[in-house]
This record gives sequence, C-alpha cells and structure tokens, in this order.
Amino acid sequence: MGAFLVASGLGSQAAPESAGAVEFREHIQPLLKEYCYDCHGDGASKGHVAFDAFDSPAAALEAKDIWWRALKNLRSGIMPPPKKPQPTARQKEQIERWIKSASFAEDPLNPDPGHVTVRRLNRTEYRNTIRDLVGVDFEVDKEFPPDDSGLGFDNIGDALTLPPMLLEKYLTAAKAIVSKAVPSTPRVPAEAILAGKSFKPAANQTASTSRTNTPPPPGSFSYYEHSGGGSRFHAEHAGKYQLLLDFSAVEKFVDNQFDYNQCRWTFKADGKELFTKEFGREGNRPFHFEFDQTWDAGDHDLVFEIEPLTPDKKQVRALTMRVDSVTVRGPLESGHWVQPANYITFFPKPVPAGSSARRRYAKELLTSFATKAYRRPVDRPTVDRLAALAEGTYGLPGKTFEEGVSQAMVAVLASPRFLFREEGLEKQRASTGFPLIDEYALATRLSYLFWSSMPDETLLRLAGESKLRANLAEQSQRLLADPKSAGFIKNFSGQWLQTRDVDTVQIDARSVLGRETSPDPEFEKRRQRFRDLRDKGEDKLAADEKKEIDDLRAILFRPNPRPLRAELNGDLRRAMRLETEKTFEYIVRQDRPLLELLDSDYTFLNERLARHYSLTNLNIVGDEMRLVKLPADSMRGGVITHGSVLTVTSNPTRTSPVKRGKFILDNLLGSPPPPPPPDIPPLEDAAKAIKDRVLTLRETLALHREQPLCSSCHNRMDPLGLALDNFNAMGMWRDQEKGQPIDAAGILISGEKFTDIKQLKHVLVTEHATEFYRTITEKLLTYALGRGLEYYDVATVDAIVARLEKSNGKASVLLSAVIESAPFQKSRPASANPPSKQEASLPKHPELKASP
Amino acid sequence: MNIKNTSPIAAERHFNLRRRQFLRGLGACIALPAMESLSPFPALASVVPATLAQTATGAPLRTAFFCFPNGAIPSAWWPKDEAGPDFAMSGTLQPLAPYKNQIQLLGELDQKSAEGGKDGGGDHARGNGVFLTGVRLKKSATDIHAGISIDQAIAREVGHLTRLSSLELSCDPTRPSGACDSGYACAYQFNLSWSSATTPVAAEANPRLVFERLFGPGAAGQRTENLKRRQQEQRSILDFVMEDAKAMNRRLNGRDRDKLDQYLTGVREIETRIQKAERFGATKDPGIDTPPGVPQDRAQHIALMTDMLVLAFQSDSTRISTVLLGHDGDNRSLAEIGISEGHHDLSHHFNSEEKIQKLKEIDLWYAKQFALFLKKMEQTKDIDGHSLLHNSMILYGSGNADGNRHTHTNLPLVLAGGGGGTLTPGRYVKQGSKPMSNLFLSLADRMGVRKLNSFGDSTARLTDV
Repeated sequence: MGAFLVASGLGSQAAPESAGAVEFREHIQPLLKEYCYDCHGDGASKGHVAFDAFDSPAAALEAKDIWWRALKNLRSGIMPPPKKPQPTARQKEQIERWIKSASFAEDPLNPDPGHVTVRRLNRTEYRNTIRDLVGVDFEVDKEFPPDDSGLGFDNIGDALTLPPMLLEKYLTAAKAIVSKAVPSTPRVPAEAILAGKSFKPAANQTASTSRTNTPPPPGSFSYYEHSGGGSRFHAEHAGKYQLLLDFSAVEKFVDNQFDYNQCRWTFKADGKELFTKEFGREGNRPFHFEFDQTWDAGDHDLVFEIEPLTPDKKQVRALTMRVDSVTVRGPLESGHWVQPANYITFFPKPVPAGSSARRRYAKELLTSFATKAYRRPVDRPTVDRLAALAEGTYGLPGKTFEEGVSQAMVAVLASPRFLFREEGLEKQRASTGFPLIDEYALATRLSYLFWSSMPDETLLRLAGESKLRANLAEQSQRLLADPKSAGFIKNFSGQWLQTRDVDTVQIDARSVLGRETSPDPEFEKRRQRFRDLRDKGEDKLAADEKKEIDDLRAILFRPNPRPLRAELNGDLRRAMRLETEKTFEYIVRQDRPLLELLDSDYTFLNERLARHYSLTNLNIVGDEMRLVKLPADSMRGGVITHGSVLTVTSNPTRTSPVKRGKFILDNLLGSPPPPPPPDIPPLEDAAKAIKDRVLTLRETLALHREQPLCSSCHNRMDPLGLALDNFNAMGMWRDQEKGQPIDAAGILISGEKFTDIKQLKHVLVTEHATEFYRTITEKLLTYALGRGLEYYDVATVDAIVARLEKSNGKASVLLSAVIESAPFQKSRPASANPPSKQEASLPKHPELKASP
Repeated sequence: MNIKNTSPIAAERHFNLRRRQFLRGLGACIALPAMESLSPFPALASVVPATLAQTATGAPLRTAFFCFPNGAIPSAWWPKDEAGPDFAMSGTLQPLAPYKNQIQLLGELDQKSAEGGKDGGGDHARGNGVFLTGVRLKKSATDIHAGISIDQAIAREVGHLTRLSSLELSCDPTRPSGACDSGYACAYQFNLSWSSATTPVAAEANPRLVFERLFGPGAAGQRTENLKRRQQEQRSILDFVMEDAKAMNRRLNGRDRDKLDQYLTGVREIETRIQKAERFGATKDPGIDTPPGVPQDRAQHIALMTDMLVLAFQSDSTRISTVLLGHDGDNRSLAEIGISEGHHDLSHHFNSEEKIQKLKEIDLWYAKQFALFLKKMEQTKDIDGHSLLHNSMILYGSGNADGNRHTHTNLPLVLAGGGGGTLTPGRYVKQGSKPMSNLFLSLADRMGVRKLNSFGDSTARLTDV
C-alpha cells in the first residue's frame, strides 16, 4: 500500500513501481493490446477511450472511472464486442482481479463506505412521517412540488434540492398540520361525524336502474338517476348547532372521453332545504359547506337528494356525488363543551396554574415531541428556545397554553433538523477504519428504508440504549413485518420497475386495438390517395383536389364512436400496478427466490385484470387482487409480462420493442445501452424502398440495425423487446398485428436462442441470474443509501451477489446483506475526500463521468 | 342557471363559462378606476432609479419567458417572406396574427450550449436547462450544475420592487419515474429558472396555490388578514429555525453544507418577503373566487395559469415570470385535438408527412394558448393607460428548434410586447446566428439591470430588438 501511494505520485523517476503497476505492464497491457487496441489503442480511441494513452502504468492505476466502466462492459459481455476475439475466462478474471485489487485498491476488511449527502425528506417520506408523528394525512401531492429524482429514485440526497418556494410551503404546511392535529383549547363543542356511508337510500327507493353496470357504493349517488340518502342525528340537548357538509364530485378516469352530464344536488335538514346546486364534471373536487341550526333535543333527519338534469347525454365517466361526511358540531353553548378527542395524545396532564410549572410542563412536552421529530435526543438549549417560543405565544392575552405549545411544534416541523436527515457518527479510535454511523442514524436509515417514515419508539429506545446494532436482524424483521413496510414495497418496486407511471401513462386504446384488426382496403386506398395529394404540395392542388383532400382528411381523422374491447381506465391501471407490487411483496414477505421476479408460475390478479389477460377460465371474481397459479401453457408470470411494465414501456399508440428492450437492460440485466447518438439516421429512406406493403415493426427495426451506428445497441435491445411483442401496448396478448403474424423468436447478443417469451424468460433465469442479482443489488443499495454507487462500491456489490448465488437468491439474503454492508453501516466523514478520486484524470475523458 | 341545451358544445361552453365567471371577477378588478391603489409603485418611484423595471410613463415594466416543448416544425413556423415589417404570419403562428403589430419574430438566435458535443445524447435535458441559462450543463444524474437563469438574474436587481421577486409557473404537473434524459439529472429537464448554478427554482403548477401566494388563503374579503397573520406567525418561527440551521451548518461540510445553504437562502427570502409586506402595506384582495386546483383539461390549465400571471402583473405583485408549458421531451398527447400519440414520440417524425401534420397541429395548439394569453394582456389596461402587453416583454419559444434532429440553432422565438415603447415590434428580424444570451442582455438592459455585462455564452448585446 505504501509503495503504491508513492508510485502514484507525480511520476518521480526514483520511486519504485508498485506491484499493481508492474502487473499492468507485464500482464494486463498485453491482454488489452490483444483484445482491445483495435478500437481503444494504436491511435484508435472509440468513445474517447484509449488504453495506451496513460503516461505510465501508475497513471493507468489511477484512471478508476475508466476501469470501472471497463469492468461493467467486460462482465456484461458488451466488450469486447461479440463478433471480435474474446479473452478466455481466466484472462477475464485476471483483468477483473487487477481492476479491483490494484486500481480500486479494495480493502475487503475496511471498504470505503462513501458519504451520503444529507437527505431532505421527499414528498412521500414527509407524508408518512407526519402521519406517524401527529396522525394527520397531509396531501403532499397537492401542496408540494414534485421532487427531483436521480438515478431513477426520488430519495437521492444529491438530487433533492430545496428551492425557496418549497421552504415557504414547509412553513405553511407545518402550521396547517399542527392546527389540524393539536387541540388549541382544553374544551370544545362536541362533534359527531356522520360517515358518508351512513347516508342510506330511503326504504321505498328501488335498486339502481342506471345504465352503468355497478351501482355506486354506499354514500355515493349517481348523476344518472334520481335518488337520495339520509341519516339521523340524535341531539341530547337543545341548542345552537353547526352542520359541516363535506362531499366530492367524483368521476372515474376514462382515457380521452368526456362526460357532459349534470345533476342537481340538494341537502335538507328535517325536510328544510339548506342547500341546492347544479354540478357537472368537477374533476374529483371536494366541496365544503357550513350551516347554523337551532335544534330541539331529539332526532333530526339529514338527507341528500340527487336529480339528473341531462337524461339523454352519453354516460362515460360514471359521475357520482360522494358524501364524505356530515359533521354535527354542538351544542355551541359553552356549558356543553367537551374535551377534544385527541387532547390526551398531546396534553396528557391538566395544564398547571403557576408560570414556572407551566414552563416545566411545556419543556416536558416539547422535549418529547422534538426528540421524535428530530429522530434523536434534543439538546437542552433547543428545548429552552422552544419553551420560550411557546411562552411568547401563551403569554399573550387571549392565547391558551395549548396554542403556545402548538406554535413551538410548528417551529419543530419547519426546522432543518426535521426536514433533513442529519447523521451522526459513533466515536471511535482513529485506527479502526471508517467510522460507524451512530445508532440513531442507523435507526433512521432502517425506518426510512422499510417504512419510508420516521423511527418508532422501539427503534429510538434501542438506539438510546446502544442496542440496535446488536439486534439488527430481529429489528429488520420486525420492521418488515409491520404494515408500514408497504412504504418499501410501493416506493422501491414502484420506481425500480416504474410501475408508478402506470397511473398516468398515456395509451390510446383505440389506436392500440386498431392495429390488431386486419387492414381495411377501402381505408388504405383513401389514405394512399390522401398521401399522394399531400405529397403534391397543398398549395399546388387544383380546387377540386383541394376539396377532395379536405374531405379525405375529415374521413380519415374523424373520431370513431364504436365502443372499445378494452380501455385503460383507473381500475385496470390500479390492478396492473398492484400485480407488480403484490408479486414483489410476496417474494419479499415469503422469502422467495428473487429470480421469480423474472419468471414464475404465479401472479396476482383480480377479475378485471384476469379478463384483460384473457385468463377467464380461472374463475376469478371480484375486485380483490389474489395469488393465482397460472396454467402451464400461460405466457404470463415474471414482471416483464406484467401489464404495468408492458404498458409503461409502450408508445401511446403501439408497442415499443426498443423501450421494452432498454427497460430489461436498464433494470433487470444492469447493462443500460448508451443514449442514442445525436443525429439518428432517418429510417424512411430504406423503408421507402419497399413500396408494395407496410413493414412490420420487426422489419423496420431490422432495417435500422443494418446501420452500423445503430446495430451495436439495437442488437442488444431489439431481440429482448421483440420477444414481448405478443403483448400489445396495454399488455394484452395478440397473435398478429395489422394482419401479419407476430414473430417473437430471437437470439440474444450473448448467443442464446429462443422462440417465444416463455423461452426467453427461461434463458434469463438460467443464464443471466448473476447479472440480475447484481442489478437488483445495485438498485436496492442505491435506494437504501440515497446515493449513486461509485467504483469503491464494487466490492460491496460483489460480496452481496456472491451471497445471493450461494443462497438460491433468497429475498431475505439481499435485504440483510444490504443492511449489514459497510456503506449502510458506516460513513466516510464529509470532510474527507474520496481516497483517490483523481479529478485530474477526468478532463481527458469527460464523457466517462456519466452516471453509472 | 339551468342548461337546457344538451349538446356537448353547450356543455363545454358551460364549463368555459365557469372559468369566465372566475375571470369576470378579474374583469371587475380591471375596471377599478383607482387602479393605482393596486400598485405599490408610485410610492416607490422616488426611492428607486426611474429606469428600474419601469417604463418612461412610470408604469411597471414586466418580463416573462414562456417555454413550449420539443421545438416546432420549422417550415410551418418561419414566414416565407424576407425579414422586415411586411411578412405574413406562417401556419403555426396564425393565432398570433391579430397581435402582429405587438410581436417580433426573432430568427437566427442560438443556444449552442445545448448541443451535444462530447456529452452526447440528452438534447431535451439540455434544451430545457440551457433555455434561460445559456451555459453548458454538467452531465450527471446527481451532481447538478447549471447556471443562474436570466429571469433570476433580472429578479436579483428588480425583485425588491414587488411583493414577489419573481413568479415561476408550470403547466406540466406530473413527472415520470425512472431516470431522466440520457444520464442528466431530472432537475435540468423540469426547471427553467435557476437562482444559482446548483439551485433550480421549482415552479408552481396549481392555480389555487399561485392565487393564495399572491393574495392569501381563504375566502374573498378575508385573504389580506389571513396573509398578514400567516406572516406574523412565520416571523417567530423563522427566528427559531434560523438558529437551528446555523447550528447544523456548523456541524456539516461539503455537499451537506450546500444543502443547508439552500435552506438558509429560503429563510432569508421569506424574511425579505415579510419585510416587503410591511413596506408595501396590505395586499389588495381581488374579491374573486379562489381558482380550483389543476384541471384535467390542458387548455384550461394553461388558461388558469396565465390568468394568474395577468393578475400578478396587473396587481404589480411581480415583474418577472417564467411559464413552463411543457418540459422539453414532454411526451403527453393532446387528445383534446385528436392527437393520441405522445408529443415527443411524434417529434422524431423521420419525415413522415402524417406525423409532421400532427406536430404542426400541436405547435399551432401551443401558439393558440399563447395568443389567448396575449389577448388578456392586450385587454388589460395598465396604470398609464397603455395595455399590459405594451408594458411587457414576453418571450415565447422552445429549447429545441427542430425536434426531429435536436437542433439548437435558429430557435423558434417570438418576442411579444412593446417593452413600454423600447421594443420595435411588428417585424420579422433575422439576428444573424447570435447567441440567445445576447437577447437576454438586451432585455435585462431594458429592465434597468446595470451590472450585467455578460450572461451565459453572450458575445454582445442584441442591438436590433
């Protein structure tokens, strides 16, 4: 090590050459010369890489970023290119070993854990943390701007910025959350909440006669029929009351179709109309109204009525009025006031009278609150400042003690110590390598990994007793078993496999399904005529031709009113997302082999999704997603056959074999293709040569691959994507497109042949498990750490992959290996530079700085 | 009001009507004779140089930057005629024809920093991130480094004149998961405004929240009081968190400290806002309904957001704004006009006439939305009797020129407004292949910014605008 450091200095002639440099000169360089110099040496520098451009073997050792990329390309078989002579397995291993031990200077006993930039809570984490801290569900999606993600995840410290506008929103949110959660007085008027569901149709009203199939759920009322629902409130005391109405105008999402129906919506108390108004499509908007009432003791009837105003209109979006709740507040006379429901949660004792006793009580409350919010014990000066802040408010005339404490709580929620996850280090002797993060930081890393939320009392208590590290496995299992671990399932799988996007991806069902019908010769004739006319140039057309082209345009581009075989509506989108989430969850919770994500004989379906997949003979009834064993001949099973993945990797009107292939390379095999070159050669010149028929997608792509510039990447992407082309852009099975049969057969760049998706999945599982293990390890490590991986993480990843291979790729092994890894347990202090990050070597190869 | 007519058109009209009812409130506001009372400006005229974001008549001078995605089909954008005042508006820009005398079509301006060069792919990340910054972006998924954007550079100088130093709006509310364009951080592709090389200024996409920022939360009549109370309460909170942040900053290093600096900047900005609120006095409640959240219909969304911008300019709440109509690389379709393919997918049209036709329709649609905004600006009178449009400089353009080939020269750009009489609209001007940053310098000059001698990749000021 010492010799190595000297050698990597400024090329001093006197310094002895390190062992790594000697090995490079004697063994590695000859291999590079033999297998790589065709493109990366002897004057060639494809991709700006030349392996003979180093000033010295010592300088070669320092070019870690180049070796890191070389390692990835070597391992994934991208380099040397398949058609070129290949190094033997032993030679490959020699290069790998040299890169890892000599260039990366890996120290297996004390690997560099890297440093995680202090992380701001993202929207999801903020919402969950607030839920667990004060019990309020804060609608972050509406109130906060979307977070910037990096490397495919939205919890990356470096990528999460804090623009001034967001801080302003944090302040507003803190105030809103505390006012909602924390009582401001010890006694308030009683409140009774009548749930929407309790508004039942009157007995004499018959069941739904609506043209929609399913009647609306209890508390919801269709725009399309005359109906209503009532509930009854029993007033114990006569007095003044307030009625708070909360309802929403709801619609089901249906692509590209609008519903212009309207209704009249009326509310009556004891038969007296308090409110009546017309509603159209309102985009799921909530409404709130308040009314004052003076009531006698006894029963009071509260009734909603709905009346359709547009009986003849097309009914598309299933418009309904949904009663969220009616709150009866009162009697308002102070003699009847009660303690607020959650008072004890925030104020467990009665407020003392004397000012010093009050101050003591405030400190007690705020110490506990700030400790939870800051996820570590709070120091005395901070508590003093908080107490002073509280007193500054409750000391004012007309302000309560509770309002004062609330104000201090607002300050806690706006503090950077709440919004950022600051991590402390364990104190240790200098000689023991990189420091461990302290137990509070570990508790926080664990809880945000598993729950996307704050540590609970148990975690904080164990950290306080310095017993968390000793009970790591047990605690990890407890966190995973908790329902809050839905946070991990949803956020990790939703971003890794991009299933989050299925809720918003735009797919035009009509165009997608239209490709599966055989071409209509009449339509094609018109289209050809339209093209011919247009190619003449519209300004050169005669008057009758102009009229003709306008008529053709009207026919060709008119909206088609036929109903569709399938639509990508909200229910289906949800079912698709859940299929992938549930599969991932099942594998994690049941500790199944991770390879089942690639291929399995089961999946999760409900009635809607089973129908979508034409799996109708499985007799799946109802909305609930359940584990389903697939028929032996089914092509489904494994995430690449999930509707979610198939849909989010499609274009709005058709499948995209390129996007699908890229998805598999990016997210499952870990060898992302480089971005397309800036000037993509146009396809149509070659495609135009074939005049007599329309090319299939496969043929068009084959033409594209003939261009040498395109072939190197498309040879990798296209076979993978084309193997999935039996699944249309909505994930439905099909045998032909535009009258031509679909050919899913192919050959991978690594040489394996397959005839259909079933065989491809088998190839992936049997021949590419290592790549998959490495990819999921890298993805999970990135998510767990909140930072991108660097060359010094290769050792950690390799060790985890080795453990996975030994254990049949069990999910639990992956999770515990990540949690036990050095980067998760330790931290390089921010002040220390990466051990040998050679910025100096970068200008020569700036393109290599691209993200992993 | 009962809608008897049951045709879809009538219902659509009904929907528009409700937006108009919201706007009618705005109209009432416009009709106020004592319009000056909405503006803090006259009171300030004595303490600031007469030229700082001000027209010769003493009215506020505003600048806004609109960005639409994926370039425009060049043949349909550029006029067939020579440069000069006698040109016919091309197909795409037809909607702007009524305002021909108040716009100039700027040809031959470039953003060469957005070109690939050694960084390779990523033209949409660059098209977006370079559009108002004029600098090369650091190609990294996490290590964000761009440059200050021109709107923020101007806001630094003139922002103190108004309640909000600038207003960033977006009509593109959702983000896809997964990595962004070709290894570039997503921040580049979704943010036009940058207050520093490392701090993107997030834009607001929810019309309701923009309105509450301008006039306060709650019902009409209570907003001024609500806003005042909110700010008073914030003051003591800010004192507390500032101390927390400073203590934390002392414990941190390097990148960690940069993140805390963003927090501290935010705190200072809110403090400034509160001080301004005291200096400018109470806000004037426009007395109209708070607009709803984000509508599903995209034209409606843009209409509401530009309503907010007109309101902000009219009330002199700000003089600087950016409006992201769609991020570069935007792949949303426009089902509203019968185009179901994604915009970005279409933009790689490979010379397919059918796709080009659809792209022209999309380009036209964006121009229509912009024209509707110009109409509102034209119809709203400023304190000096001119229209708001006369007293503004509104740039409308895209960070890609030809989306098919990802070019960044001869960008499609329209400069609307009279700049308070300092611009010479009604022309088609070819600038002769100059950096767009040169235009930024000239706009900044007109805004009274003194210290800006260069910006981005500027080479000189643009003399002919």
